[in-house]
Amino acid sequence: MSGESAPVPPGQSAFGERYVVMTASPLPEFSTAGGEAFKVNDQQEPGRELYALVHNPLVPLRNDVYRSIKGRPIPNMVNPVDRGLMSIDKNGRKQRLVTIFERPVGGPLMGPDGKVNPRVNTNRLRQHVVLSVLKALAALHKRGIFHRNLKPSNMYFATKDGDEVWIGECYSTPPGFRQPFALEALDLALADDTARGAGSMDSDFYQFGVALQCLYFGEQLWQGRKRDAMVMARINQGSYWALSGGRDIPGALGSLIKGMMADEPDERWGAEDVLDWFDGVGKPKRTSLKAWTMNRPTNFKGVAYVDRRLLADAFAREPREAASFLKKLDFPSWAQLSFRDEILTERLEAVIDVRPAEGFSGARADDYKMVSRVCMFLHPTGPVHFRGHSMFLDGMGSMIADAFARDDRDLLAVITDMMDQKFMSALTEICGPRDPGFAQRLQDFKRLFHHGTSKSLGRGMERVLYEMNPILPCISPRFDNVWIGSIKQLMNALDRLSASGGGRNILLDRHVAAYCNTHGPDLSRDFNKLAAAQNDPGRFASLSAEFFGLLQRRFKMGALPHLTEKLVDSLGPVVKGLKNKKRRETVQQQLDKIKKGGDITRLTSDVNMLQVQAEDAREFGQARNLIHRIERERARLNRKILPTDPEARLKGIKGSRTLAFVVMVLVGFLTMFPG
Amino acid sequence: MAKKPQQQPKKAPMRQRRRRKPTSEIGGLAPLVVVGLIGISMFKLAVAGLLLIGLLPTFVLGITGRGEHKNYKLQCVAFANIAGVLPFVRQVWDHPRELMQTVIDPLVVVIMFGSAAIGYALIYVGPMVAAVVLQSLAQERLKTLSQQRTTLVEAWGPEVLGAAPSGDEPDWANKTPKRPQ
Repeated sequence: MSGESAPVPPGQSAFGERYVVMTASPLPEFSTAGGEAFKVNDQQEPGRELYALVHNPLVPLRNDVYRSIKGRPIPNMVNPVDRGLMSIDKNGRKQRLVTIFERPVGGPLMGPDGKVNPRVNTNRLRQHVVLSVLKALAALHKRGIFHRNLKPSNMYFATKDGDEVWIGECYSTPPGFRQPFALEALDLALADDTARGAGSMDSDFYQFGVALQCLYFGEQLWQGRKRDAMVMARINQGSYWALSGGRDIPGALGSLIKGMMADEPDERWGAEDVLDWFDGVGKPKRTSLKAWTMNRPTNFKGVAYVDRRLLADAFAREPREAASFLKKLDFPSWAQLSFRDEILTERLEAVIDVRPAEGFSGARADDYKMVSRVCMFLHPTGPVHFRGHSMFLDGMGSMIADAFARDDRDLLAVITDMMDQKFMSALTEICGPRDPGFAQRLQDFKRLFHHGTSKSLGRGMERVLYEMNPILPCISPRFDNVWIGSIKQLMNALDRLSASGGGRNILLDRHVAAYCNTHGPDLSRDFNKLAAAQNDPGRFASLSAEFFGLLQRRFKMGALPHLTEKLVDSLGPVVKGLKNKKRRETVQQQLDKIKKGGDITRLTSDVNMLQVQAEDAREFGQARNLIHRIERERARLNRKILPTDPEARLKGIKGSRTLAFVVMVLVGFLTMFPG
Repeated sequence: MAKKPQQQPKKAPMRQRRRRKPTSEIGGLAPLVVVGLIGISMFKLAVAGLLLIGLLPTFVLGITGRGEHKNYKLQCVAFANIAGVLPFVRQVWDHPRELMQTVIDPLVVVIMFGSAAIGYALIYVGPMVAAVVLQSLAQERLKTLSQQRTTLVEAWGPEVLGAAPSGDEPDWANKTPKRPQ
């Protein structure tokens, strides 16, 4: 076993002996980007149909969804039964979070390979599927949860012979995470597939519409379609026609799907419209393309764009070319001619701040931000386009998590660059009237700017990651075998890691530092001290002991013998470095006693190495001064004293004078009183 | 031709200017002796005469003496000289007419001037004796200091002396560089 990776605790399962995960029997139809599904045996209720989802630690969960559904299950939905940490033996033993779900046994409406369940037909779709899914969606929406993972492969027949349909779970991945472009409502689809944000009820109904369309045609309509071509088709023809490739769905089902796939959220059918449709009173709605059309086309890279969303998307994909294009443009005139219905105020023009090229100067640092501002002006309800990436601010958490999972440093640099108060204020002002939710979404993101731009230990993008995804475990490579969901688990894992001989300088691991700072008490000052002591192993060891002692005390943890032993051992050089022999012996005796007890807090309460070190250093300085004085005195006293030395001379003459005086007094006395 | 402005002599700093003149090395002994002689002459002129003659070496030294510790030297010679003169003061005090006989007596003169010579000898011998005494005192002090030093080294190790402790030298220091052949 690698000494630098925390070992898995032996035989641990949060469920006791109840659930046995059969890793040899995977269930790909229930697997998601957030985890792999396996059959599970319930030892208490052997006949119960369940499956276990072994979560991927790199994908954040929707904890709010779990908490809401766990107590009160949603009808017609795959509900979680329980969750907890388990040791899973697949490609090596690993500790993972496992969620046990109810398992619909009728099979998915469409398999992961795109094959439609033979039981799916138009009648069933119209009569049962719509109603079942609507029931589930209505219950979810009532609780303020948007599913965002509706796809034909995530809908299941509840039983082998029944008509009832369940929708799959939506808690193992962030909303819209890695969803195919076609399955997302147009505004959301334009964002990167990891940063689509929470979405809304409308986006769920859109997904529902696409799922029905796929099931009706019996194919995955997004397969083999290129994104750019599809964006253009969806915007120009509408999503319904673009996806169907011009094929219509006749009858009532067609109107339902058209209604739910309307690209304008205001025109899209919601729960009430679907119920009306059931009652046969639904009115077909038409999709208008007017709102986004420019008064005259704009030629960019050889393509004439009439739709401003398309132009924004084209600018976003090619930000460098867009920057040079915009710099050559007389922006106010272009805006006035292209958007005659809109008034471009001087203030808005100043905020967008498109400055023409000056002389032969090349790209400016602000160019990407300029393009981003223009994109926001063109498509205010769309995502933020910046340096080739598109994201909704409420999807930043999942985007950052994905960037860390792929170790995409470039993307992290892009996000750090985005953390600019002035830039974000400009975007808020530009899209303000059209997207009032932007400012609110920004608030959550803005509070982390000071962390993101910091290089300090315990801050930086790692801190932003854990702040935005509180449920995410610590993803330090040292914990790739274990699931660290709390400081207590972190400490226990460190104890095991210490037992296997690893964990050296663990506190210098940026992930560990950021995780502790996010989930622990205010530890910024402690981490600053640790960072400053990086090059001083002795001081670093003392500070580490103090730090872990603090955590052990605050979280009221039991004995951590291996970690204590490791910390005591790491203090060895510090003890050796103590100058005073007696103190060294005393401290070593105390440390040996603490080592046996496993209580790190005693390292600070009984010994307090930092104080001992400081005291030792101070007293050593005093001892050295004393030695210097003694040496000087010895050197002075060691030389031979001659009568000619000033001191000897003075003292000799003074002594002679005293002797003479005594003799004088004596003679005088004898002379005056001879008798 | 433009004249250069004459540089004014720099004034001494305030502290230096206010410094008092060093006091005479003879101190208060000379006036005391003069006043004493005058006082004695008012009662017994003969005794004053004897003192004037007997303390001649002291007066000579007081006038001609130079160098450091002049005052102490003078006091030493004076005390010794007075000790030599005092036995004859009683004699002259009781019989003032015997002043001349006493003064011309070679033995008296030898005793009076010899005592002054002893004073001079004490000035010469004193520093020698002092050097011997100081040397023995220094040896005692050295012993105490060595004990203190040993205690400190025992408590703090050889590092407290400022030298690197033996055996802790870096590896490169122990390696002998190979000469290129």
